[in-house]
Amino acid sequence: MDFMTLTVQAGVNGLVIGMMYMLMAVGFTLVFGIMRIVNFAHGEFYMIGSLVAFYTFAQWEVPFVLTLVLAAVCVGLIGMVVEWLVIRPLRSDELTGMIATLGISVVLQNAVLMFFGASPRAIPDVVEGSLHVGPVVFTWSRLLVIAAAAVIVGGFWLFMQKHKLGRAMRAVAQDQEAALIQGISVDRIFPLAFGISVALAAVAGALMAPVFAVSPFVGTTPMLKAFIVVILGGLGSIPGAILGGLLLGLIESYGATMLGSVVADILQLALVIGILLIRPSGLLGHREA
Amino acid sequence: MRSLALALSVPVIALGTAAHAETMTIGLVAPLSGGAAAWGSAMKGALELAIEDVQKDGGLKVGDTTYDLKIAAYDSHYKPNDAVTAMNRLIFEDDAAFVVGPLGSAPLAALVPMATENKKITLTAGFTPIAAAKEYPYSFRAILPTEVYAKPQIEWVVKNLDAKKVGGLFPNDETGQAMVNDLAKAYEAAGASFPAQEFYERGRVDFVPILTRVLAQGIDTFELDGSPPQTAGLLVKQLRELGFKGNIVRTGGDATPDILAVAGPEASEGLYVHQEYDPSLPSAVAYEERFEKAYGGTMNAFSPGFYTSIMMVFEAMRETGSVDDTDAVAAAMSKISDFEGPAGKARWIGNDYWGTQRQLFVPYSIGHVTDGEPKVVATCSPTRCE
Repeated sequence: MDFMTLTVQAGVNGLVIGMMYMLMAVGFTLVFGIMRIVNFAHGEFYMIGSLVAFYTFAQWEVPFVLTLVLAAVCVGLIGMVVEWLVIRPLRSDELTGMIATLGISVVLQNAVLMFFGASPRAIPDVVEGSLHVGPVVFTWSRLLVIAAAAVIVGGFWLFMQKHKLGRAMRAVAQDQEAALIQGISVDRIFPLAFGISVALAAVAGALMAPVFAVSPFVGTTPMLKAFIVVILGGLGSIPGAILGGLLLGLIESYGATMLGSVVADILQLALVIGILLIRPSGLLGHREA
Repeated sequence: MRSLALALSVPVIALGTAAHAETMTIGLVAPLSGGAAAWGSAMKGALELAIEDVQKDGGLKVGDTTYDLKIAAYDSHYKPNDAVTAMNRLIFEDDAAFVVGPLGSAPLAALVPMATENKKITLTAGFTPIAAAKEYPYSFRAILPTEVYAKPQIEWVVKNLDAKKVGGLFPNDETGQAMVNDLAKAYEAAGASFPAQEFYERGRVDFVPILTRVLAQGIDTFELDGSPPQTAGLLVKQLRELGFKGNIVRTGGDATPDILAVAGPEASEGLYVHQEYDPSLPSAVAYEERFEKAYGGTMNAFSPGFYTSIMMVFEAMRETGSVDDTDAVAAAMSKISDFEGPAGKARWIGNDYWGTQRQLFVPYSIGHVTDGEPKVVATCSPTRCE
């Protein structure tokens, strides 16, 4: 393989994984921006999204687009219930709320382990075959991830910019008290934000399920990467999560392809440390007043 | 419900019922949750089925005493600290007669010295030489390590698959680093080279970038040994997605059901896999059916080896007429040979490797995946596969 081939192949590989990180990180940072909670169970909602894909797409042969909608709706509703039952009573204490999400993570993972078992299950590709451009190979299933993630994040961006509820969420994130004075009900916005956040994780899980596999533990790595991405992009910043996700995916891919996986991991974390030293609030984050 | 119970790390599960007999507790330290839960579940299932069989005959008769058997099971989470905590409880609270586990080199290295000090037989599964070392005379290993199976299998792979240039990915830890050295030496001794060696952090799911790097080195054979079952499945899938048409082999650590589950039958077609035993044996088929009926899902191939080892401890106890004289039981156990188990005739080996006789051996095999099923193409002794 020549250098140009490796460069193109690594670029597409990086975009695929970067899109997944981006979807995870956007939801993760949304909850932090609005509710000031680090949701440690975010990876488990990703995992439940992949489970929904397993049952609907692989078992019941539901069209994949409908599978994505079902994953988002089901997990979004579960998220709203979780917010109402567990997080709302602890809203006054951020630390306790975070510990509660850690508990939710353990409960969800072990509940799925009990009913689904530890063995991983495969999901057939949504689109079979590969695109060969000279010596470079792109599987259609991975290219689909790039396209679908771009559409989903684009839709989410429009919602946040144009829709009344999206604007209300941004207002709450900017200044909760001012938003209250403007007549925005924080009690309505919090569960909605939490539901949308975990729905995005679920869509990422459902999208990636045919590319990887489904098991109770698939959410662990994306969750860790989402952490890195939001720190890189700026905690609470949605554009930062988009930029950070893509950047991390590309660094990971180019680093691993050109220098090996271990060096790539070192590079990623060195970059995060470097950025935090230069810009402590992250690439697109704002310094707290 | 049984599969549900198996997945939970319930501390104590009592199986004995007869009131007149004495009770013997058998400990279990295994990963019952997390990524290695499939292995832990296989160990726990083996112990439960072995006890079920003994209880069916009225309990374990040793000398004049009949013992009702019960299990004290702890989740090691595949971590040394948790394994040591569990062992403390098993020794000082549960008074376990012997212990099934731990699994994994790091938990094993942490736990075995304590087991030795307190004279507890352990039936372990970890590739570290500590598992069969002279200084730990009660440590028995139920699963074959790379050190034993690498040479004969790799000689077969190089000769029969014409492997010349081999590549592989390994976990970036002590296990992976040790394994790549063993494998590289074995491939070189067999006449092939192993130039493409890469490492990854455990938990990673996207290997396409590293595989692109490995394939760029023009390998003709990819070695899967060393990666956990789910990871091995992802590697097969992603290798085929990248258009790799060479040999994919796994010369150790049976992971075939998980590889097939993750990669799918199409990507797995033509794969050469290590099998802990000959799965076509009627006794192996019957055991697998029994296990899957009891617990659902697919059975990990570690289970029959553990079932056999547990039954061999019982046999040694019956032979010596003692459950407390650990030295006598361990000595009697290492002499047992031609013991009929679900995976075939079992015996203890190890003198040639570690100067001890505490490594379980049942003839293992190489399978060739055809139409989504591994078919046995060679059976192996400790010295050769044919």
